Amino acid sequence: MNKKIKTAFGQIQAEEQLKNKTKDFVFNKVNDYNSKPQKTRGWRLVPIAIWMLFVFMGGYWLYFTPTVAISIDVNPSIELGVNRFDRVISVTGYNEGGQELIKSLDIEHMNYNDAVNQVLNSQDITNLMSNNEIMTIWVIGEDGKQSTRIFSNLESCTAKTENAYCYHAQKKEVEEAHDLGLSYGKYKAYSKIKSLDPDITLEEVREMTMKEINDLINSFSQKNTNGINVNEHGYQGGEHGHRGHE
Amino acid sequence: MMRSEQEVNRVIELYGDTVRRICMIYLKNYADTEDIFQNVFLKYATSSIIFENDEHEKAWFIRVTINKCKDLLKSFFRSRTVSLDDIVEKPEMILSDYREILEAVLSLPQKYRNVVYLHYYEGYTAPQIGHILGKNANTVYTLLTRSKKMLREKLGGDEYE
Repeated sequence: MNKKIKTAFGQIQAEEQLKNKTKDFVFNKVNDYNSKPQKTRGWRLVPIAIWMLFVFMGGYWLYFTPTVAISIDVNPSIELGVNRFDRVISVTGYNEGGQELIKSLDIEHMNYNDAVNQVLNSQDITNLMSNNEIMTIWVIGEDGKQSTRIFSNLESCTAKTENAYCYHAQKKEVEEAHDLGLSYGKYKAYSKIKSLDPDITLEEVREMTMKEINDLINSFSQKNTNGINVNEHGYQGGEHGHRGHE
Repeated sequence: MMRSEQEVNRVIELYGDTVRRICMIYLKNYADTEDIFQNVFLKYATSSIIFENDEHEKAWFIRVTINKCKDLLKSFFRSRTVSLDDIVEKPEMILSDYREILEAVLSLPQKYRNVVYLHYYEGYTAPQIGHILGKNANTVYTLLTRSKKMLREKLGGDEYE
């Protein structure tokens, strides 16, 4: 019986057609598997790429969004944009003198304290200051904390320099100043002088030194008989205004 | 891991008949056989299993084929009786003597058929069959003894001793 059963089973063989069909099927499937992963591998990277883009853009935004502006005016008027990490991310000259000055400076991506020190110690500024010019530094910030901290740091730093004054202001007014093409310090001086002499033009103020403006304001205040209270520097600081060294 | 075309060709030629016979034991029609046949070799092509030797490889094919057949049978309601005509592409090619034997095997209840095939054709011992099917060797002995008896009754006479 054993042999007969074995022979009987031996009659059953995989048909050639079945084998060939199976080979085709298996090779097709395997080729599919082989080609698919490459496609899917590429697509799998898309969310990662998008995520990285967001991180990159977020980082870019965090770094390159100014949170505090430091406006420095003597006659050169310049403004430093400072990001939330206390780094200088932009340097803008608001008049010819300012543009000349920033050409001689390399302060981008520096800590604001070092940057301001470099400005104050630059040849142009030290020359001007030795001529009894007046310097105003405005710290303008949106949130209280960072701008307050920067303000108090700069205040102690300008305390060493004669005729340098440090003020603190809120951000809202700054945009208006920039719309007029003035640094914030100049803008404050311009607003003051405009209220005393409506004929004065923007162009005139832009190229005046802070000392000239101050003198001009003082001359108005001496003529002033209406009792308008004008302080000795010609204009009042912002709500947080402080005078530095006297 | 994907196996090469040569490897797949080799195992189809080497184990195609074995897989085909197990399909015959389990399945009721040629279309199912085709499905199982393809799936078994596809599983081989896409699996990363490393075989210790040829025996191990062969046992793997037997086990995989049986499992796939069982899965297929589980998924549908299928009649128990089968005619050889339904499961073989060209039944007229099989000599009538052998047809009688095969039909007798196919008439046995499912649990006897694979034991009969593995023992009579593939020549596995009861412990080896037990290993492949995951059954106790004694159970396999019992199944073999009973199927021998049933076949003798169906095919008649002592010539099948």
